[in-house]
Amino acid sequence: MLYRTAGQFKTSYIADQALFPVRQDAFLLGIILIFGWVIFPMTASEFTVQTLLIPILIYALAAMGLNILTGFAGQLSLGTGAFMGVGAYACYKIITIFPELNPVIAILLSGFFSAGIGVAFGIPSLRIKGFYLAIATLAAQFFLAWLFEKWSWLYNYNASGAIQVPNSEAFGIFVMGPQAASITEYYIVLFVVTLLTVLCINLTRGNLGRTWKATRDMDIAAELIGINLLKSKLTAFAVSSYIVGVAGALYVFMWKGAAEPNVFYIQLSFQVLFIAIIGGLGSIMGNYLGAILIVGLPVVLNVVAGTQVFEMSTGSAILLIVLIAVATFLFGVARNLWGMGAAIGFGAVTLIYGYAQLHGFRIESAMIEHINVMIIGALIIFFLIIEPHGLNQLWRLIREKLIIWPFPH
Amino acid sequence: MKHFTKLAVAAALGTVIGTAAVAQELYTPNLAYRTGPFAATGIPLMNGQADYMTMLNQRDGGIGGATIDFEECETGYSTEKGVECYEKTKGEAIVTQPWSTGITLQVLPKTNVDEIPILAPGYGFSPMADGTVFQWAFNMPAGYWDGADMIIQHLEAEGSLEGKKIAFLHLDHPFGKEPLPVMEMHAENKGFELLPIPVGLNEMQNQSAQWLQIRRERPDYVVMWGWGAMNAGAITEAVKTKFPMENFVGVWWAGHDADLKLVGEDGKGYKSISWSFPNLDAPLMKEIKEHVIDAGLSQTNEEEMQGVFYGRGLVMSAILAEGIKNAQENFGTADIDATQLRWGLENINLTQERIVELGMEGMVPPFSTSCANHTGHSGGWMLEWDGAKFVKASDLIMPNVDAYADLIQNAAEEYATSNAPWDRNEECSVSN
Repeated sequence: MLYRTAGQFKTSYIADQALFPVRQDAFLLGIILIFGWVIFPMTASEFTVQTLLIPILIYALAAMGLNILTGFAGQLSLGTGAFMGVGAYACYKIITIFPELNPVIAILLSGFFSAGIGVAFGIPSLRIKGFYLAIATLAAQFFLAWLFEKWSWLYNYNASGAIQVPNSEAFGIFVMGPQAASITEYYIVLFVVTLLTVLCINLTRGNLGRTWKATRDMDIAAELIGINLLKSKLTAFAVSSYIVGVAGALYVFMWKGAAEPNVFYIQLSFQVLFIAIIGGLGSIMGNYLGAILIVGLPVVLNVVAGTQVFEMSTGSAILLIVLIAVATFLFGVARNLWGMGAAIGFGAVTLIYGYAQLHGFRIESAMIEHINVMIIGALIIFFLIIEPHGLNQLWRLIREKLIIWPFPH
Repeated sequence: MKHFTKLAVAAALGTVIGTAAVAQELYTPNLAYRTGPFAATGIPLMNGQADYMTMLNQRDGGIGGATIDFEECETGYSTEKGVECYEKTKGEAIVTQPWSTGITLQVLPKTNVDEIPILAPGYGFSPMADGTVFQWAFNMPAGYWDGADMIIQHLEAEGSLEGKKIAFLHLDHPFGKEPLPVMEMHAENKGFELLPIPVGLNEMQNQSAQWLQIRRERPDYVVMWGWGAMNAGAITEAVKTKFPMENFVGVWWAGHDADLKLVGEDGKGYKSISWSFPNLDAPLMKEIKEHVIDAGLSQTNEEEMQGVFYGRGLVMSAILAEGIKNAQENFGTADIDATQLRWGLENINLTQERIVELGMEGMVPPFSTSCANHTGHSGGWMLEWDGAKFVKASDLIMPNVDAYADLIQNAAEEYATSNAPWDRNEECSVSN
């Protein structure tokens, strides 16, 4: 009913192969874009922009870069954190050497440096595969993180060894540094992320994407049908590292404002890898879903734990109830009882928590943090159990069922 | 729908109750870390800070009639959570206490735009001492450069440093690198050889490579700039390699009782410079016991309360309370805002009489601040581990600030230029 495909005839191959074979998909994307470009910037508080919107977009972009390499081309990488670092340090050098350069261009340029480094560390992939390649990228991770600490030219011989984002102007306003408004930073991040997402969708659907997928599925077979593995693997490393590097530049210059070398340690690589895996390897949308779960949810839970449940504004209450209702409905459509239980359970726990608050119940902020970590961990396990192929696959199943809802076979 | 009606009714009720209950309250959030890799050192400090404010709320009903909301926002020492906490609290807060050097570095430029005082007692960026440039940042009573200078003074008192070798064991992180400029300056002037030995964040617990180097180089002294698990690692390793403990000196963050209890008697002679001391006989401790501990309002315990870090937490909150009181008296209102608190923190005059009045005799050296001097340069005592606890091993050592005043000014200038446009305090006419 909601996702009715009846009457949407495809009379040509082009129509059948289109980006949105079902009209509702395009409609849904349009709504999301309107939210991203118009409604969020108009309504969101600075806190939301700084702790939810910007980091989710940046992490999603980093995961998308990794997904190109691991999900589409099948080359496992543990060096994402370091490649993000290359982007960030390259951007720092570009901006301090050419202060009059437009910061957005500097960010987009810095990706080329990480692409170069990525290709260099991707060369072993021509000989080794799987876990062995993961170890080779791990070497890149440790080597580069060590380099960020020891090579003082990278941070302009700063005594503290950290890089600081200077205030930079473009188009007559501050777009970077502490003087820049959050909303400006958000729009720049959104612009870059949208641009690169469009690029990725088209790349992965096109010729190059097909060679990557063939390489991933069976490289010997791919070679036999005439795919140049050298080209396929190294372009995957280049494109992936470019996107990861841009994400790294955004991460420091549009969000954190300052960074020490230890920011780019292996924990960051793992976090991005988790986002890509939970979101779904070999998908574009999954990266956003994964980032919402891993980066956004802890912040939301913290806020919920900190507010008086029964004193929240009507707007937030409606939003919360609508979200729970939508989640319950979607899981219901997919006949996923566990999912429905989890969504309703979340609502019930919130109500109980609010009731307890009315009777003077308080949790220390350290305890909230412990509980938060437990909830996120449990949710990761939960989603991987109900759908091992990630959130993207979960959405695809729900969408399939939605098309025939309410009359399942 | 039923849920929603219930919720809406409760929401309406809540708003009514909420508005009725509003009293004058000052919001001074603390970006605490009771979780994560540094929790062991964080917890006693956080408890000390919170307990002092609870004591004021219980005993005096707050400061000047306004209760203090000393809410904690948990960061786990992570910079990402730090930004989250800063953004979350900055709307209402009259001060921000960022704790980690990483978070301080991120928050420092933002506070200058958001106009919120940043209180980083004994940590953060040493050039913050220059109040004309860093008009919103405070690191009283002493900065890391003061600490480095006091340690060198203490070592020099044991005999000329000419031709000696000092190993500088430090965390390879902005915090650990902070005192290097002053150490290098002294090395050049006093003719000793400085041997910086970095300890990476990943190797804090296993420092065998660093201590092998120390054994090979045979330095006369080891000066340590460590934090968290690094201190315990270094102290156990020093005992294992039989390094003479009396030649081993740490910064104030490397003087945690629990780290030394691990080695007990073997750690005898280890020293740590400190601007605070846990004077258990001070009247303040009795007040805390009476109003906070016995009332069941604290998370601390008997053993922790006797430690250096708990006492330091008390001192930190006392400094903040003093700033609030100054501002209230000057502006004639209990409900001060961030700008007024800045004035209060710039005009702290903690004389010996005032320290006795606060019941904190011997817990903190006297110091005063001005609009140009945001550190106070209180000086400190050399504390020594006697096998069971830290005792004062020296008289008050005063830092020789003149020797590195130029360094402070240059570093502050450099920071302001690289962060241009940077608002300075143009009205301040007092010199540093």
